[in-house]
Amino acid sequence: MLQAIDLSKKYGTQVALDRLNLTVAPGEVFCLLGANGAGKTTTINLFLNFIHPSGGSARINGLDVTERPLETKRFVAYIPEQVMLYRNLTGLENLEYFTALGGHEYPRSAFIELFRQVGLPIGAEDQRVSTYSKGMRQKVGIAIAIAKKADALLLDEPTSGLDPKASNEFSALLKQMSERGVAVLMATHDLFRAKESGSRVGIMKHGRLVATMGTADLGHADLERLYLEHMHD
Amino acid sequence: MVKRIARKELIEMLRDGRFRVLSVAVLAVSLLSLAVGWKHYADVARQHAAAQAATRDQWLHQTKKNPHSAAHYGVYAFKPKSPLAIVDTGVDPYVGVAVWLEAHKQNEFKYRPAQDRTAVGRFGDMTAAETLQVLVPLFIVLMTFSAFAGEREQGTLRQLLSLGVPPRRLALGKAAGIGAALGLVLVPSAVLGVAALMLTSDGGFLSGSLARGALLVAFYLLYFAITIAVCLGVSARARSSRLALVVLLAFWFANSLVASRVVADVASWLHPTPSAVEFQTAMDAELNKPGEMERRLEQRKAELMRQYKVDSVDALPIAFSGVSLQEGENHGDEVFDAHYGRLFDTFDRQNTVYQIAGLAAPMLAIRSVSMGLAGTDFQQHRHFITAAEEYRRLIQRTMNGDIMAHPTTRTSYLAGRELWEKVPEFEYEAPATSWVLGNMRWSIGVLFAWLLVAAAWMSRPLATAML
Repeated sequence: MLQAIDLSKKYGTQVALDRLNLTVAPGEVFCLLGANGAGKTTTINLFLNFIHPSGGSARINGLDVTERPLETKRFVAYIPEQVMLYRNLTGLENLEYFTALGGHEYPRSAFIELFRQVGLPIGAEDQRVSTYSKGMRQKVGIAIAIAKKADALLLDEPTSGLDPKASNEFSALLKQMSERGVAVLMATHDLFRAKESGSRVGIMKHGRLVATMGTADLGHADLERLYLEHMHD
Repeated sequence: MVKRIARKELIEMLRDGRFRVLSVAVLAVSLLSLAVGWKHYADVARQHAAAQAATRDQWLHQTKKNPHSAAHYGVYAFKPKSPLAIVDTGVDPYVGVAVWLEAHKQNEFKYRPAQDRTAVGRFGDMTAAETLQVLVPLFIVLMTFSAFAGEREQGTLRQLLSLGVPPRRLALGKAAGIGAALGLVLVPSAVLGVAALMLTSDGGFLSGSLARGALLVAFYLLYFAITIAVCLGVSARARSSRLALVVLLAFWFANSLVASRVVADVASWLHPTPSAVEFQTAMDAELNKPGEMERRLEQRKAELMRQYKVDSVDALPIAFSGVSLQEGENHGDEVFDAHYGRLFDTFDRQNTVYQIAGLAAPMLAIRSVSMGLAGTDFQQHRHFITAAEEYRRLIQRTMNGDIMAHPTTRTSYLAGRELWEKVPEFEYEAPATSWVLGNMRWSIGVLFAWLLVAAAWMSRPLATAML
């Protein structure tokens, strides 16, 4: 479970995040929408303890990330806008390496199965990552997240730059993970993907969460209208 | 986790074209420098053994002559080379390896290769020590500058830290990986070097220099560990890999190329030594001090006449000419001890400055330790000078004692092989390793201090500073 309690971040006098209160329950996919600089990535970075909060706390499975930085990272997987891998290693070597550092070991066959599960073509596992497209790298990122068996998933614009097919595959994988009880917090500009993948969406503006809503009874057009209304306020 | 990180670093490096090119270059230079050192050592050791045997043979087979003439006939003493001089020639090219031992004089050492150099030779020898002290750190800089900074630029560092990898373990893993890669480059040279030493010294290396060799390897590993830790610490904190490279190249330049020259000048300024001409002039002035020998001889005459209860020198049961010659030697010895003692003490103080300056540049510390363990530093040269001078004085005492023992024949007295054999062959015993380490205590302390500080600096980069 992910929890933000009055979570704030200031850079000097500039407020990047203003008293965010948010809970993402197991199996829930919460999509943070907002313009650039709205505070979405700041929120993700605070959960990852990459930056320290100016106030409040970010908690993963009830543990404060600043007080228990290494332990909380054991519960969370992270997929950035561009999953960066070691170009001189093969896809499989990257997956093995990141998985091992995340505290898990699997046989080669299990890794290859993961490659197939995330939709990577046969043979991709033994190719150097320098030959991979962005979509393939993102899929390796998902494979890393699956292999980590994390309780929570933090995604920062994960479908940015992906073609529609790859985005769809990505959404399907996300759905699989949420069905396994993973709490997902995804920062995105993609309203369509947020509606398709999210259980709830939140709209951020100037560091504040200005609206939250469930996606079940919300149409694509409704979400777009609501989003634009908040952006124009 | 550390092992896993190290393995990944090694694999990545082995697939990196930069590593392959640099490692071939370092391996080639280290093998070449070892080959040059080995050939030089083998040649010099063979020449010294032959020359030492020849000089003994000449001494024993000299014709019958007055012992004082034999004292002037003299002998050579050759400084034995440690097999580890293959690695580090130290000060030998500058201070010489042989000394002519004769009456009345403490001669300077001869056969200094540095004297015979052409203009090109001023750039110095290509020794294995130079490779290890200068080239290998450059190799480490070029292989590690992007270790953290590059990962930060590529984005993989965020990926790693999001997994909950402790920065300290990450740094240790990277250090181990770089160390393993370095091992792949240096181990072949080291194995070939040891094999060459064993062949050259007929296995004597194992009994004589093995402990020193092991220590030499250990201290060089310590130095490389320091260099790796410094490089990783800089890479973790630099804003970009380009900045890390610039900072590390500046460190390498200052540490490997500039520091030794600057500190040598500072040490000379703090503890100046006289020029060769000034030194010789001052010593000659004291040796030839007007009235000094006359005063000493009058005093000696009076003592002997009292001792033997006679009223003239001619009535002494010993030849006064021998006493006079020995008194001249005693006077000379006192002057030599005072002047050379002051000079060598000044060199020692300069050396202490050099060792302490290792706090600013660790290369100075490893250089001192390397020369010390290779048996080519100034302290061990001084140890040999002292032994050779003792031997010279023994020859003089033996010759003059024989003259004293033959009072009736005086200058017409001729001695033969029986007397020459009374002078034992010169056998030099190099100082123990513990003595050498004692002399190197500053440098050893400095290296450990550097390791502690650099390791702490490397392994405690703030997580935020690494992002």
